[in-house]
Amino acid sequence: MEILNFLFQGFAVALTPFNIMMALAGTFIGTAVGMLPGIGPVNGIVVLIPLTYALGLPPESSLIMFAGIYYGSQYGNSISAILLNVPGTSSAVMTALEGNAMTKKGRAGPALAMSAIASFFGGTVSVVALMLFAPALAKWAIRFGPAEYFALMIFAFSTLSSLSGKNLVKGLIATLIGLMLATVGLDPVSAVDRYTFGQLKLLDGLDFVVVVIGFFAINEILRYAENIHQDQEVFTKLGRVMITTKEFAMSFWTMVRGAAIGFFVGVLPGAGGTISSFVAYTTEQRLVDRHGTFGTGDIRGVAAPEAANNASANGAMIPLLTLGVPGSETTAVMLGALLGMNITPGPLFIANNPTVFWGLIASMYVGNILLLILNLPLVGIFVRILKVPGWFLMPAVVAVSFVAVYSVNNSPFDILLMAGFGLMGYLLYKMEFPLASVILGLVLGPLVENNLRRAMSLSDGDWTYLFSSPISIGLWIAAIASLFLPLVIKRFSAASTVADEMEEVELVEVD
Amino acid sequence: MTSHLTDRVTGVFLLLFAIWYGYRTTLFKVSFMVDPVGPKAFPLILAILMGVLSLYLIIKPDPSPVWPGSATWIRIGLITLTFIAYAYLMVPIGFVLATTFEVTALALIFRGPLLKSLVGAFILSAALYGLFDMLLGLSLPTGLIFRGWWG
Repeated sequence: MEILNFLFQGFAVALTPFNIMMALAGTFIGTAVGMLPGIGPVNGIVVLIPLTYALGLPPESSLIMFAGIYYGSQYGNSISAILLNVPGTSSAVMTALEGNAMTKKGRAGPALAMSAIASFFGGTVSVVALMLFAPALAKWAIRFGPAEYFALMIFAFSTLSSLSGKNLVKGLIATLIGLMLATVGLDPVSAVDRYTFGQLKLLDGLDFVVVVIGFFAINEILRYAENIHQDQEVFTKLGRVMITTKEFAMSFWTMVRGAAIGFFVGVLPGAGGTISSFVAYTTEQRLVDRHGTFGTGDIRGVAAPEAANNASANGAMIPLLTLGVPGSETTAVMLGALLGMNITPGPLFIANNPTVFWGLIASMYVGNILLLILNLPLVGIFVRILKVPGWFLMPAVVAVSFVAVYSVNNSPFDILLMAGFGLMGYLLYKMEFPLASVILGLVLGPLVENNLRRAMSLSDGDWTYLFSSPISIGLWIAAIASLFLPLVIKRFSAASTVADEMEEVELVEVD
Repeated sequence: MTSHLTDRVTGVFLLLFAIWYGYRTTLFKVSFMVDPVGPKAFPLILAILMGVLSLYLIIKPDPSPVWPGSATWIRIGLITLTFIAYAYLMVPIGFVLATTFEVTALALIFRGPLLKSLVGAFILSAALYGLFDMLLGLSLPTGLIFRGWWG
């Protein structure tokens, strides 16, 4: 009953009026950025990081808001998927397939309702799992030394590289680009300055807020310039946003399986919402699609991916909070934010910061209830955001980005850097280098080097020390094995009947 | 035959970059060693890995992507120019004016109607300034040209 005790303490944190407001702000922003194609939770979080620093927000409040943006985006991304057949983020690809088929049959209302309910189900179940698993994993990870950490980060790099792009080598190169960018600045151990070219502004290193906004927001603007699309007519006659009890009963076990799949896939570094929703969808197709109705507007085909992608967002919080090693770009950005607040997540994080961890957990229960309200009765309001024309929405994203980039150091120089990284991000994107890997390398770079050097100090420069414990050997083997994961997934999807459709849909992890 | 030129060129560029990046480590001024590996080893490892992977990219390139046409590149160039102008203008003319110009310029590049773009840009810029500077206490530039007028 220790957990209940902690949870009550957590609710005492999460239910203060200020933190309820933070959860509401996070879930609201999350729904909006999730829904808008082209921008996602990374944009929402990174833009708010300078603000949380400037306001001196307590870490638990910042984290409550950032997590709200992350799981809120998994609710929002299905709205545009269902109404426009454009997934708001890549993890709503399967929802677009099934949900838009329902819209075409005039059943947009039930599709939206099912998506919100399945999201709530997946979200809430996975918070319970997060609450039970995270402290246990943290206890186990206490024995990790620098050699184990080094191996763990290599494992995170190799899984993300192999899952986030079409070409493994490009994923690895992208990781190296991120790591190289991270070496710019003063070396904290020896105080030698590296790759600064005498620029004082670079001594502190590249600020990751500037790089991430360049890579994600500015890159997106340049991509929009490629193809200035005519705005689609937004379908706003939603009808009744509700499902029948029969539809709920029919989808219940689908949601249970979706949530379980989503959670465990989410915990794995590199694999996240996109892969989990795909696995959940194809699993359901095999188990329950007896009349071949999947793909033609079967409500269970909405329930499965939505339960899964929400559960995976919460599962992805586990490696971040217990090991301090994120497995996706969104959690990498959250790690960057925490490091900036002088909090280093790791095995001792939960024990040392019980208010932050349990406050976050409690807020996630609250946040999912808020999201259910935002997405069922209030979904009509959000749909109006989709009516903002692209020629204004995209420039508005730039304006908000400027506020954030300028506020990092109150320096216009950062706007130039941001523009440079925007162009670089665009070119890398065009050549199919996964930007998620660059970001992970950039954020983890200092930690990788630090752990490597601490390991070498402990062993007096003996490199075999890196492979000397069973845990680190296991992690090295897993890192190498994960390079073959794309082959396994290809076989899995080849066996499924939606394989043809998936040929066109890129099964690439970008959320 | 499909072209593989993009990846080959990128590979060569990355290879040269890796050599330069590795060479720079020899210029680090290390006065004393605090730890057995020092500040050079990690960048050197990165340089070597990058070198090997870029060779692989040169030998086994993907088909080149579909690069956009000249109209898009002109738009991208214009957008970049507006960013550079913004960086130099925002302190002298202030956040509200600079952002109004920026958003209007981008909206026009994206074929928005002139009047609507201008009005929308001004309302957005003023709202952002009100929210972040006045309400939330970030300090956005008011503009040197307004200095005598208030504040």
